[in-house]
Amino acid sequence: MKTLIINKKKYELDLKGHETLLEVLRNHLGLTGTKTACEETECGTCCVNIKGKAILSCITLAYNIEEEITTIEGLSEGETLHPLQKTYLETGAAQCGFCIPGFIMASKALLEKNPEPTQEEMDYALDGNLCRCGGYLRIYDAVIQAGKEMKKLNDQEPRNIATCKG
Amino acid sequence: MTMATKHKFSKDYVDPVGKSVPRIDGKGIVTGQIKYAFDVSFPNMLVGKLIRSTIPHGKIISIDTSKAEALPGVHAIITAKDTHQIKFGSNEYFFPHTVDQMPLESEKVRYIGDEIGAVAAIDEETLEEALHLIEVKYEELPCVVDPLETMKPGAPLIHEARNNIAVILPVNFGNPDRALKESDYVREDLFYMPAAHMAALEPHVCVGQWETFSNKITLWSSSQAPFKCREALAKTLKMDLNDVRVIKLAVGGGFGGKLEMLPMDFAACLLSKKAGGLPVKICCNREEEFLATRRKHGMVYKLKSGVKKDGTLMAITGEVIADGGAYCSYGPTVLAAAIMRIFMLYKIQHFRVTGYRVYTNTSISGAMRGFGGVQAGFAIESHMDLLAEGIGMDPVEFRLKNITTPNMVTVNKMVLTTNGLKECIEKAVEACAWKKKHGKQKHLCCGIGIGIAADVMGSKMYKSHESAGSIVKVEEDGSVYLFTGAADTGQGCNTALSQIAAQELGVSYSRIRCKSGDTEITPFDTGSFASRVTFISGNATLLAARDAKKQILNVVAQEYKLPPEDLDIKAEAVINKKDNSVLINFDKALEICYSFNYGYQIIGRGSYNPKTTPIDFRTGEGNVSGSYGFEAQIVELEVNKETGEVKILKMWDAHDIGKAINPQSVEAQIEGSLTMGIGYTFLENLHFDKKGRPANGNFANYRLPRGFGIPPMECILVETNDPEGPFGAKGMGEAALLPTSAAIANAIYDAVGVRIKELPITPDKIIKALREKEALEKQHNQVEVIP
Repeated sequence: MKTLIINKKKYELDLKGHETLLEVLRNHLGLTGTKTACEETECGTCCVNIKGKAILSCITLAYNIEEEITTIEGLSEGETLHPLQKTYLETGAAQCGFCIPGFIMASKALLEKNPEPTQEEMDYALDGNLCRCGGYLRIYDAVIQAGKEMKKLNDQEPRNIATCKG
Repeated sequence: MTMATKHKFSKDYVDPVGKSVPRIDGKGIVTGQIKYAFDVSFPNMLVGKLIRSTIPHGKIISIDTSKAEALPGVHAIITAKDTHQIKFGSNEYFFPHTVDQMPLESEKVRYIGDEIGAVAAIDEETLEEALHLIEVKYEELPCVVDPLETMKPGAPLIHEARNNIAVILPVNFGNPDRALKESDYVREDLFYMPAAHMAALEPHVCVGQWETFSNKITLWSSSQAPFKCREALAKTLKMDLNDVRVIKLAVGGGFGGKLEMLPMDFAACLLSKKAGGLPVKICCNREEEFLATRRKHGMVYKLKSGVKKDGTLMAITGEVIADGGAYCSYGPTVLAAAIMRIFMLYKIQHFRVTGYRVYTNTSISGAMRGFGGVQAGFAIESHMDLLAEGIGMDPVEFRLKNITTPNMVTVNKMVLTTNGLKECIEKAVEACAWKKKHGKQKHLCCGIGIGIAADVMGSKMYKSHESAGSIVKVEEDGSVYLFTGAADTGQGCNTALSQIAAQELGVSYSRIRCKSGDTEITPFDTGSFASRVTFISGNATLLAARDAKKQILNVVAQEYKLPPEDLDIKAEAVINKKDNSVLINFDKALEICYSFNYGYQIIGRGSYNPKTTPIDFRTGEGNVSGSYGFEAQIVELEVNKETGEVKILKMWDAHDIGKAINPQSVEAQIEGSLTMGIGYTFLENLHFDKKGRPANGNFANYRLPRGFGIPPMECILVETNDPEGPFGAKGMGEAALLPTSAAIANAIYDAVGVRIKELPITPDKIIKALREKEALEKQHNQVEVIP
């Protein structure tokens, strides 16, 4: 049995060695918010966070993961959206929405390190994510605005990082 | 009337139409909760996969499935002998002879990827193993991949069509030969546009379930057109329409690729039947997406046109060859659209363009966003700049002289009512400071160029009608349900239609619950294509909401003994129009409707069929659309003469959208179109090896635009308030993509004086053209020196 901590919940799972995190999330746990459009690291729709880093779940073996995993389902608290979810919604960044969970998770990893990224830093952090509907400009807007929001929340209560999610 | 004093207009109320309300499904998207067909799973669900041809062209001798059938975990295998062998196609109404594809081919395969069978098993591993155990024997035939080679005598015949030409489409008006002779300047240009792929991020995916006790099927499909999918399923499975239910969930992008039933949809249902009713899920991987779904037609476009010195466009002639791949799909009408779009743009009386849609042993070309207009747009709008240059005229001036006007009938009988093209050009020109920049930035290697486009908003391409239906149901608690057959594929039509329903009913947008795209529950709608949904489904929704409102007001009028025609609903309240006083609020009105005395259910209906005349393809005449949208696009860019790299500095898009129901959605559609256009101009080129297999069929090699380098874009919305549109709106989902490539090519010419006529525009093509230009200039200089 393998223990995985996903979105603050502990799961005891009977895993095969070759199963990717993506397969575990989608097929075993029903956490279908994490998508895939290529299964070969080109599209970014399978992005999750592990220990604050943006990780492509399609090439990550679930068995090897010790640290806590956060997926798109772990961002909001009740009806309260994470600043990134709020700004992606408000800027109109989402059209078909299939790429959005991956983009939000990649953006989150970026902003938690650096809430005021430059254009270059955003280009670099989001280069692995494809969007076919929207055209990226609104996604960048959403990231910038969410960064400001997250910085404000962090500044207000520097000790309580959890409010980031408020 | 004592009630009147109790209720007032809500202070928070805002008119839903014209406001950028958040998407109705937005929270579901950003929380990852919304369900796509990709996410559907049922207990005991099997996984399925197609048996695909491994050769480009050949006769099927035998398919031996016995070893695979014996494999534990394999539940069902089907081949053509399990089917009725009924062909399907997408232009059955206009071009019945082009209905040429079998759900599973029985005699011949025509490209690598062609479907000849399908397997369902308990898991992916078993499925893969089973596919390896299936033995197919072919008699291989010579194949042809190049669209020009395929037309030559002696090329292998892919279907019965002579010279592999599935459709010849001659479009003739006036006397182009005479008009060319009367022209002061005539030029001929040849343009090449490659195939491309829709590359929607959600792959084609479906779950089919055969209900064995009732002999009915349900298909959950990532579809742009559930009702068309139902029709094709019923036809090929020899079932009644009402025995087939197609359910569309959230769709992760379509761009034309999900307009048709594919063999996988058919196979999922039939496999389920053979497996005793267990649901079967079939999901294409990315390789299959590129290999065997649908793609954009590659085209060769030859144009020869003449102009007068004063800029009058005299005649356009030419020839289009469209690479159709192995089957016809939407090809004939795509070809027609690629030829006839020009009539919406320019006042032209003398015209002769002949189109050929040819078969090759490659994947099937179908509808892709723009419907032939993207390829035509590059050719025509590049050609227009070249014509203008030939007579020394500014390209903007040249276009303003020749464009169509409001309230005119074109030579092929299209009825253009509202037409904001002139305003679009003028506004874009003003916004980009054209006069200061065009032709004046050569020292900077910086140029600016224009392209224009028009699009049809709901053409009659389905049977004989193109209608949409809507139902607006208002419950006793005041909640409003909108049922529409329209298919939201990400463009946001559920949101726009809800805004229209709310506005017409006089209530807040937040009251609306939208249920869409389920063939058993929602009214009929042909689907998301031809930028038709806002216009056609929007009108149906408007009528349904109006009907619901009338029902509510009749009850209220009876209760208060007032004439119903004096009443209206505005801002969540029933008002007396005579003095604009508030009678009761909306919730109270519904309480009355559903009270002991009345018990009146509010169910409004709306049906809308645009006023059009189907195109007669023998003459090219017809009014295909109930309204026409227009736009002008300008690109400013910089070319690096050393490396051939192009950097777009800014793009302007002035778009006649009639009325923006949701300005944010409209702008997002425009930005998405421009980005897709940038991709087709610089990166995208789906090409094939000698056997017709995609040479770059994955995301690593088929390059799509990414966030890096996407330029700033300025959307200018021109509202012409079309009298036929819901609140004046026209469709707009595609037009912005059409002129992008030409606008870029024109700007490159302005910057460095080289004309690229072949997409994609790559640095090496620019360098090569620059070198040729230099060599030519040197030659000229030498010639001048010698005397």
